Amino acid sequence: MLCERCKIREATIQYTEVVNGVRTEHNFCAQCASELDFGQYSTIFDSDFPLGKLLSGLLGVGGSSGDEKMNHVVCPACHTTYGEFVKNSRFGCPECYEVFDLLISEKIKQIQGSNSHKGKQPKYQPLMRYGHVVQQEDEAGQTGAESAEASGQMEKSSKAARLAVLNREREAAVAREDYEAAARLRDEIKALKAGEETDA
Amino acid sequence: MLKWFEKTDKTTPNIICSRIRLVRNLQEYPFPGRLSDEEAKNMIRKLKNGLKGLPERDGIDYEYIALNEASDLERRALTERRLLNATLEQKKGPAGMIVSEDEAVSLVLNGDDHIRMQFIAPGLCLKELWSRADRMDDYINERFPYAFDEKYGYLTTYPTNVGTGLRASVLIHLPTLSKGKRFNSLLGEMGRFGTRIQGLNGEGNENYGSLYIVSNQKTLGVSEEEIAEMVNRVALQLNSQENKVRKMAMASHKIERADEAYKSYGVLKYARRLSWKDAQEFLSSVMAGAADGLLEFKEPISIYKIMLGIQTANLQKLTERPLTKEELDVARAAYIRSALPDLM
Repeated sequence: MLCERCKIREATIQYTEVVNGVRTEHNFCAQCASELDFGQYSTIFDSDFPLGKLLSGLLGVGGSSGDEKMNHVVCPACHTTYGEFVKNSRFGCPECYEVFDLLISEKIKQIQGSNSHKGKQPKYQPLMRYGHVVQQEDEAGQTGAESAEASGQMEKSSKAARLAVLNREREAAVAREDYEAAARLRDEIKALKAGEETDA
Repeated sequence: MLKWFEKTDKTTPNIICSRIRLVRNLQEYPFPGRLSDEEAKNMIRKLKNGLKGLPERDGIDYEYIALNEASDLERRALTERRLLNATLEQKKGPAGMIVSEDEAVSLVLNGDDHIRMQFIAPGLCLKELWSRADRMDDYINERFPYAFDEKYGYLTTYPTNVGTGLRASVLIHLPTLSKGKRFNSLLGEMGRFGTRIQGLNGEGNENYGSLYIVSNQKTLGVSEEEIAEMVNRVALQLNSQENKVRKMAMASHKIERADEAYKSYGVLKYARRLSWKDAQEFLSSVMAGAADGLLEFKEPISIYKIMLGIQTANLQKLTERPLTKEELDVARAAYIRSALPDLM
């Protein structure tokens, strides 16, 4: 699509304006965009901006009121708030991926076309979930004493089932924007996972 | 030792070089944006120490550059040689770079992410570069646990890099194809394969020199090999399209083509003042003329090396003083005269 202002260059920036609830979409090239005044957003059109910053739109700026409520969710490890993440399209630390997981999973899928990694895994470190060590089920089973193995597996599978249920409930809670419940469930899941680690 | 861009590769003359960029973060630190200067310095020191064995492993020398202590001109020159990008060039606070003497391998420490590895080589060689990157990645990972997640893969500052953290790109010269009316729609079509094509120096008619970068759009949900293969395929496709139109032009307008190549060479060889835009356009014509066998040099030459050399910061570094715009044009013409070999 050509830039609607100069009609020469390819439009690379989509600008959505919402004024009094009326939504208008514009398509500009980088050069025209930098010449226009977008208020606080002007700086992102500096000649060689990282693509990441443009994703603010996708990531939820001007989204529903639910998103605004979520802007205050904060990563306990690095104190990045969800609002800051959306504004800068930047995570603060590995932990952020866990804290914002349910809020970003779908959005990452929109950007990347997928939300699960396929490809290389680190060779020299244990399996990680959000940067924490995850107990690998099969390995634990193999290393355990044979008698203990069966009961261990049983317990493991019931825990896995419980985890799956909790995760589903958590997703449902987020879907209905009940963030308090979602946070409670998150803590419960965390506790359950921690228990699993100390068990083995 | 020759820099990588001084080497010549004649197998696919339109394809200038391939590049693999891989970003990684350490598990024990927040991402650079949330790192205090003190923590950042600590981390950089640890990384530098941990990677001391690189020269021995690779059999080449590496240099360390403290980016926050380097002058603006030095940083600008690194960007011109594509060792830094504009955001890294502007970055304040502690950051460093480990760079091999041929500049083919570089590691930026504490840039946008903790580690940004870059591997460049002339010609089309993404597969080989990925295997080099893969080995370097393992070497680092043996010493430093990474921030990795089962679902999201390698965790990065920007959600646009998460997963593989891999950007594979090919720099390709498309002087004829890019003049065609269908070029823009062709670029759109390439987008459907998950690749992006951008002008190296700007968009549309402002992309002086007709160099284009083909790279992958997505980093998550595709494997490293698939990414390299996809970019590779699109680059080859563009290359063969370019060759096709060039062949047609050669068949019907040989004299015009030769005239353009020789005139461009003549201007470059004898001009006393050259603006960057003009120089870039003439060099592009000479590059195409050499690829089509219209111009033959007495010695092998990398035109791309000259394109890198005629940029502002590089010329200022050569003359070792700030230059006015007029002086720059004079210095540029002189640089090209000495760098361009005689014709057969």
